[in-house]
Amino acid sequence: MNARTTLFGTFEPGDGWLFRMPVGWKYALMLGIALPPLFIWEWWATLAALVLAVGALLSSGIGARRALALGWYLWALLAAMALYQAASTLFEAAFVSPGNVLAAVLASRMLTLTTSTPDLMDALSTALRPIRLVGGNPDSVSLVIALMLRSIPYLAGSLQDARDAARARGSERNPVLLLSPAVVGSVAYAQRTGEALHARGLPGDRPDDRPRINAGRASS
Amino acid sequence: MIQLRDVSVRVPVIGRNAPDRTLLDAVSLDLTEHRIAVIGANGSGKSTLLRLLNGLRTPSSGQVLVAGHDTVEEAKTVRSLVGFVFTDPLAQLLMPTPVEDVELSLRTRIRNRVARADAAQRLLDERGIGRVAHQSIYDLSGGERQLVALTSVLAVEPEVIVADEPTTLLDLRNKLMLRDIFETLPQQLIFSTHDLDFAREAQRVIVIDGGRVMADGDPDAAIAAYAGAMRA
Repeated sequence: MNARTTLFGTFEPGDGWLFRMPVGWKYALMLGIALPPLFIWEWWATLAALVLAVGALLSSGIGARRALALGWYLWALLAAMALYQAASTLFEAAFVSPGNVLAAVLASRMLTLTTSTPDLMDALSTALRPIRLVGGNPDSVSLVIALMLRSIPYLAGSLQDARDAARARGSERNPVLLLSPAVVGSVAYAQRTGEALHARGLPGDRPDDRPRINAGRASS
Repeated sequence: MIQLRDVSVRVPVIGRNAPDRTLLDAVSLDLTEHRIAVIGANGSGKSTLLRLLNGLRTPSSGQVLVAGHDTVEEAKTVRSLVGFVFTDPLAQLLMPTPVEDVELSLRTRIRNRVARADAAQRLLDERGIGRVAHQSIYDLSGGERQLVALTSVLAVEPEVIVADEPTTLLDLRNKLMLRDIFETLPQQLIFSTHDLDFAREAQRVIVIDGGRVMADGDPDAAIAAYAGAMRA
């Protein structure tokens, strides 16, 4: 599985209850599951959030394999967090700390696996309507947020590519060789994203008075 | 019609007292034909010329006009008129799946989400890639990605399609399929290519060499001039 597709997963249509739920309620449910354990910071709250997130995904017809396919790098990060806390004899934190991160990611996947990105953007645009009062454009802001979310798995994929390339040269322990290509790639990615938007006239509405071009059609 | 009036593009060279590097030098063209191919060696200025046409690059001097609109001063109008297809489709695709990417293009025109998703699926079906509508763009073949990129650009209904070496990364089957699609597009098409057979299908071929127009006109004559220059 590709690192670029794993963290938030990709939307596929379905007919489970999460798919049918309005996007605004899904946002609320996501926050309702992800946030409380961060404030309560008890093992039982973390466990409850994990059970709720996994239960919601499974009961909506998303298989366990797809629901939990988060990518090796996230599992490795969670394991490192747990090991660090355990080594510090903070055994409850060894569960709560990575557990809360995992619950937040799974809660996010409740949204991203069951809602198309344009639908997420529509919901954001609706919620952001008040910024019109101060001259803001909700559509542009929602596009920026969608592109930002898209960039996270891309950057994770870049790190994996850089790691593979460093490994191929036998220098996977050199952090400069590992990070430099990822940083340069990130800058190039930002530039490409801007050009890709420009290439199809985004963002912004089409001018109403758009002219027509009549190029010659005589065959050669 | 697209007009280039005495257009030059220069880029600074890193290093003290080094003169600017000229990518295009005083190019003037009227692009009126329905199918125009731009050919030339690597680094000749083909991509720079094409990127000028929808404002992805701005001229250092001179003017580029699309239906009378300046690509610098009326950039938004020009962007809505001229769609651009990149060599690498992954550089073009912005959303996780094909159907979402096409939906993004449709978003300004179709606000109803069900109608928009249906329209996106229909456009992908028309290109023969409806079956991969919900796959990750990273799991598609190069040909499928290029078709998705083209579908997404066409979904904003541009008047002109500019394609920078669109077949370079494709195998023969996908190259031929893309050429067939280009043949049927109602829009004006301006493309660069190293495939001289593809260039011959155009009504006009422009040869760029060292940032200048070396030959321009009938495809056979222009390609012969290009081949002769490369042998010299």
